[in-house]
Amino acid sequence: MKDKMDKSEIRAVLSVYRPGDPETEDPRLQQAKAAAAADPELAQWWAEHQEFDRIISSKLQSGEVPAGLRSRLSAWEKRTVQRSNWNRGFLLAAASIIALAVLFGSWRGPFQPAPSLAEYRDELVSFVKLDPPLELRSSEIVRLTEFLQKNGAPSQLDIPRGLRRLDPAGCRTLRFRGQDVALICFKREDGELVHLFAVKRGALPRLGLKRETPEFAAQGDWMTAAWGGDDYAYLVAGKGDRASLEKYFGTS
Amino acid sequence: MVHVADVEFERLVEDFYMPLYRFGLSLSRKESEAADLTQHTFLTWAVKGHQLRDPAKVKTWLFTTLYRQFLAEKRRAAHFVETEEETEFVEPPHFSPSVANAIDANIVQKALLNLEDRYRAPVTLFYMQQHSYREIAEILEIPLGTVMSRISRGKAEMRRSLDDLTTIEARKIVSLTNEGQNG
Repeated sequence: MKDKMDKSEIRAVLSVYRPGDPETEDPRLQQAKAAAAADPELAQWWAEHQEFDRIISSKLQSGEVPAGLRSRLSAWEKRTVQRSNWNRGFLLAAASIIALAVLFGSWRGPFQPAPSLAEYRDELVSFVKLDPPLELRSSEIVRLTEFLQKNGAPSQLDIPRGLRRLDPAGCRTLRFRGQDVALICFKREDGELVHLFAVKRGALPRLGLKRETPEFAAQGDWMTAAWGGDDYAYLVAGKGDRASLEKYFGTS
Repeated sequence: MVHVADVEFERLVEDFYMPLYRFGLSLSRKESEAADLTQHTFLTWAVKGHQLRDPAKVKTWLFTTLYRQFLAEKRRAAHFVETEEETEFVEPPHFSPSVANAIDANIVQKALLNLEDRYRAPVTLFYMQQHSYREIAEILEIPLGTVMSRISRGKAEMRRSLDDLTTIEARKIVSLTNEGQNG
């Protein structure tokens, strides 16, 4: 290290100085700080440099985070916390609760009440509000259903005629309250995706879906349609209004 | 003593999902990948977080996990291997705060994403203002001197990029104004 720094070197050293950071309290930085304190031009430069950093920092931290991310994490949170608690010895306590519930006749089977259609819809739509990571990308529906079958998810799907006319983008499997859910994403005419979910009807008895008649419900600027098939409960979700989904069911 | 297992998962998500997403975005340059990296980080925490003994290390642990996942997924580790010790700082070009204040946040984001990989990660962590230099060195697993040098060089590079981008934007505005006047 040279004993005396020129102004360019002082500016270079000051550019990494962070007030309060112990790593920037070394002699070289102290020397640069002292030089800036004694030189109005350097002091002015340094003040502007710090102001610039503050502005850039503020602008970078104002960048948008996708609206669906927090919901997606919440959806995972419930499952992962539950799982990690089990891993950490929660098993014994849970077993005791179940034993007591069975003893007093209040045990209804699953670990929590069967979910409602609204809960099912909210959780799955929050997952696809950000384009979901697909496990298989293919425009061939046969390849997608083969993949779903191989992975234990619903695969013998009764896909509405309007959706079948669209090119698939891909598929993946999901878990909802311990049940396998199949997700197939289709490419809409406007470049957006429309998502079809399917889960075994018996797995979610409270869904209460009528057969063949889609039940539409908005969620923010998204629209959903849910209905019951012979074996599966279906849910379609896409950005837009009711008409944007109705066309796939031939009801408009 | 507060045990790490006592750190409430939900609060952890609330406190860190946004900075983690922004760090993921700066690394991957893709929103969907940044979201996946963030999600993966919390999943890893749910499974392995209880192994961490010191609650003060939670923040660094989360950022390190996200960074390692990014390297693992992208197999970009080779790009980050140290070939030489970098310890020199550089004088950044002058950039007026009043001009910086007028720049759209998207342009600033673009200037950050334009940086070379080796500068982008430390500069992002620097501007998040959540990490000391030592923590940045731990997260990126590079020497402290290298972190400071890369931040110095990265910040200088970012100013040059901002200068270029604002010039391009200004030209577009002039061009549109002229078209409007001619049309």
